[in-house]
Amino acid sequence: MLRVQGVSRRFGGLLAVNGIDLELRAGELVSIIGPNGAGKTTLFNLISGHDRPDGGRVTLEGRDVTGFSPERLAGLGLARTFQHGRVFANLSVMDNVLIGGHTHLKAARPALPGIGALAELLLALVRPRSVRAEEAALRAEVTGILGLFGDRLVPRIDHPAHSLSYANRRRVEIARALALRPRLLLLDEPTAGMNETETMEIQQIVGELKAQGHTILLIEHKLGMVMRLSDRVLVMDGGRAIAEGPPERVRHDPAVIEAYLGNSATGGETPAEMAAVA
Amino acid sequence: MSRPLLELDKINSFYGPVQVHFDLSLHVNAGEIVCLLGGNASGKSTTMKTILGLMRPRSGTVTFDGQVISGLETPRIIRAGIGSVPEARRLFGAMTVRENLLMGAFIRNDAAGIRDDLARVLGLFPRLHERLGQRAGTLSGGEQQMVAMARALMGRPRLICMDEPTMGLSPRFVDVVLELIATINREGVSVFMVEQNASLALQIAHRGYVLQTGRIALSGPAATLARDPRIRDAYLGGEVAA
Amino acid sequence: MNWGTWLDYTVNGLVIGNIYALLAVGLALIFGVANLINFAHGSIYTVGAYVGWVCITHLHLPLLLTVPLVLLASAVLGVAIERLALRPLHNASRIAPLLATIGISLVLDQVTQLVFTPNPRALPSPLPDWRFQIGGGSIGTLDVLILAVGLGTAGVLYAFLRFTKLGWAVRATAQDMDAAKQMGVDTNRVNMSVFAIASALGGLSGMLVGMYYNNIDPGMSFDATLKGVVAQIIGGMGNVPGAIAGSLLLGLIESYGIALFGTSYRNLFAFVLLILILIVRPNGLFSSAKETPPEPMTGSFVARGKPLAIPRPVLVAVAVLAVFVPFVDSDYVVQTATNALLYGLLALSLTLVAGTVGMVSLGHAGLLAIGAYASSLMAIELGLPVTLSIALAGVVTAVIGTLLVFPAFRMRGHYVSIATLAIGQIVALVILNWNSLTRGPIGISGIPPLSFAGIPLYDAPQAYWFVLVVVVALALLQARVLSSHLGRTWRALRDDDVAARAHGIATDRYKAMAFAFGGFGAGVGGAVTAHLYSYINHETFNAQISVLALTIAILGGLGNITGALLGSVLLVGLPEVFRGLAEYRMLIYGVVLLLLIRVRPQGLLGTA
Repeated sequence: MLRVQGVSRRFGGLLAVNGIDLELRAGELVSIIGPNGAGKTTLFNLISGHDRPDGGRVTLEGRDVTGFSPERLAGLGLARTFQHGRVFANLSVMDNVLIGGHTHLKAARPALPGIGALAELLLALVRPRSVRAEEAALRAEVTGILGLFGDRLVPRIDHPAHSLSYANRRRVEIARALALRPRLLLLDEPTAGMNETETMEIQQIVGELKAQGHTILLIEHKLGMVMRLSDRVLVMDGGRAIAEGPPERVRHDPAVIEAYLGNSATGGETPAEMAAVA
Repeated sequence: MSRPLLELDKINSFYGPVQVHFDLSLHVNAGEIVCLLGGNASGKSTTMKTILGLMRPRSGTVTFDGQVISGLETPRIIRAGIGSVPEARRLFGAMTVRENLLMGAFIRNDAAGIRDDLARVLGLFPRLHERLGQRAGTLSGGEQQMVAMARALMGRPRLICMDEPTMGLSPRFVDVVLELIATINREGVSVFMVEQNASLALQIAHRGYVLQTGRIALSGPAATLARDPRIRDAYLGGEVAA
Repeated sequence: MNWGTWLDYTVNGLVIGNIYALLAVGLALIFGVANLINFAHGSIYTVGAYVGWVCITHLHLPLLLTVPLVLLASAVLGVAIERLALRPLHNASRIAPLLATIGISLVLDQVTQLVFTPNPRALPSPLPDWRFQIGGGSIGTLDVLILAVGLGTAGVLYAFLRFTKLGWAVRATAQDMDAAKQMGVDTNRVNMSVFAIASALGGLSGMLVGMYYNNIDPGMSFDATLKGVVAQIIGGMGNVPGAIAGSLLLGLIESYGIALFGTSYRNLFAFVLLILILIVRPNGLFSSAKETPPEPMTGSFVARGKPLAIPRPVLVAVAVLAVFVPFVDSDYVVQTATNALLYGLLALSLTLVAGTVGMVSLGHAGLLAIGAYASSLMAIELGLPVTLSIALAGVVTAVIGTLLVFPAFRMRGHYVSIATLAIGQIVALVILNWNSLTRGPIGISGIPPLSFAGIPLYDAPQAYWFVLVVVVALALLQARVLSSHLGRTWRALRDDDVAARAHGIATDRYKAMAFAFGGFGAGVGGAVTAHLYSYINHETFNAQISVLALTIAILGGLGNITGALLGSVLLVGLPEVFRGLAEYRMLIYGVVLLLLIRVRPQGLLGTA
């Protein structure tokens, strides 16, 4: 599904991402973990087209998409959320998530080459039955997606996003990404700033998505969630991959413990204790 | 025991709608190195910003040397005797190393004293001697960290606040920087440092606090903390047993 | 041309370049520490010129006393602006201080005009009028003085930044304000000092220009701001040496350009150069790389909150009432109402572009001009019926306007405002210079009146109804578009273009659609205006109208259709109703703009 080969990105003198390889098969959930500044989000940006790699290749379903624009990648079915949560503050919850469905609105892409934009404008003005039906169908779909989050979002469907709590904004972001009907879903710290209960909810939702067959790449600091959900884990530190493999193995990897805690392991003796946490 | 040099009392701070600190209290005694540990997004950096007046707590007070400094503008707090080594160093990249160091003495007006201190600081950081005329932005990460520390010392602070001083440094430089922090401390400057790298920080600190989602989860003498298995739980996101 | 003449043009270019440098250096310092393009800079320059005029022609002071007084007065003004108008906006959106400086400049220019009258004044140089012959050219004492002041200022500024404590603080603050604070630098004081220095230099520049041309007038400020900004962007925003180099380059290019093509092309060079630089090297000629800012700087000035919901029956009732305005039986009232509606058309267009899409355009009057000329020429030259020519003018404006603004689609924040401002100026300058099509400075007269179904609408009520129908129709169309998927798409783009692109929204395409739609409305507005006025020239639709339109849109609430119409009725209509206020109109607009930014950024009806 997704293949990242030797991707690097340099900022000034700093190699933020240094020759990362990563492969993601359909239906897999792979997590990327690592301390602050390890280059996780930069790697996400390189995959989602928000930044261009200085070296390496990104292939999506066998197609070389290195350096594609984000809007083009979205058209190919790649959806993402952002580290600090980027909702459209002045749009309602409903409108935010409707934007997620933009790529499969036929009204937004009339089949008229050259004057497509003009046709889109005219369709928006005239709004024939087909356009109205399409919009209604999208709204129904979005309502369904919002239902995933229980009564967190549904009662606030008309509220502007800036009035939501932080956790709810993160939920809106996930809902918006789902409305894209993603073939590949990139989640950047979906539980950041959430408390235990809220984290558990998100964990459950991500688990359901995985069960439905979604292919997911996840950046997450809450290792409990990572260990429980991931098929494989990639550990980054200083732009490099320092470990990769099934969560069981990664959690016992001394390099990982060192990356998180420092160069001589602190406290309890064995990594097994760490495992007990997760 | 005498009153602490720096004291945070029941700080509650918010970043937009998100509460970052919940009744956070901690203190630094004169002469101590105290480290504040914690994983990502635990509220460490916000603590630093709160002390330095770059962010205002919604409630609670910060006291330095008996004077309430929460609510003061940052320059006033610096003038009160706190030096800062910011996260990611934040040097003035287009200025030379020498100019950066002298910027550190911005609050002082004793030309002779500044000259002496420059010599003293260069004695501590001999590596910077040959770099004095170079633009700070062209130095390596480790050298930049030294400039940032030397710059903070130039203000003759009684307390230096360091935000992740070892972040992004190669292992060799990490040791150098830690050694320097200990040296600075031996010269009589108290140090409050925020660190992610717990084991390293605890090697040189006297006491430590572990912050987890805005609350102090553990605290105590560095040696005790270093043996406490719960520190790992705090880092890796599990619940800390009370 | 012989060598002597070339030399003269070179000296002239350098002299003008030095004057621009005095402006641009100040703008660069301010941009460095405050991250702001100071649109009031030209107004300070004008004030400096008038202070010099008072000192020399009224108080008969020697130059040695005049210069310090000009420096002092301008510095005080600069400090006042920083302290009173800008510092309170520290936590407002990034575009707010820029808009505030526009408001300040309106206020200052109007006050200057009220105090000194709009008439040009002579500002004679008190220097002896010697000319030195060099090669085949010559150089005058004033040339020498200006060159010396330029060089001297550069030297003093260099020494200040390099060797003084405050200079160091300025440099440190410009590089990293938070870090400077952590060194104990009082950045508020740095800010104030920079405004003082920059304003002093700006005022001095104004006085020197006045002497150089022996002519000053209150209208000179706008051009000065623009030239300073252009020079600064050539050199790279916030780059002081770059600003000097950029100024000299601009001065020389203009001077040689005049030598080759004539005076009326002067500004065209400046603005075309600006647009080229913004497209090719947005960080200036001397910066090494083209780097995009890591976090998006949204240029929109959209406050949070819900727009006031006005019940539909109320809107219908107001529209019905509006139909009966002509029965007031006062042609003056009806004309004023027509005028307000025409501004309403422009504000509808701008509120879409600046509010819904978030591109704060400062050159919207250019669209009016395109529409007005297109319709007039089609009606006169091709003999098209007026109704048809107006509609076609809308289409022409939509196409040309979108193509012109296209390069700005990739820009953000302040750059969009500057680019659109320059584009608006380019439109006016092309109209001025394209004699064969536009009749150049003479303008177009004898434009046929509005007509409907072949019947000319001569009297005021008929014209009013015509305009009312157009406004209501366009407002309804705009409301309909906004209620479609386009409305949310545009607003998403405005709120966060990075996230919007991640969901498949092609930025250029949607900005183009907004400009096309808005351009159509503005073009129709310009066309109707032309047929009402029967005479237009390149100055009919000037930058003041762009600023007024923006004030109207902000007053009503950005993005708010009803707000745009309400805003124009209030801002255009009320000063006319209280006739005594007409003289103070621009002053009122400036004050309204300042107050809105400060106390009610969401406008009267709320942003949508």
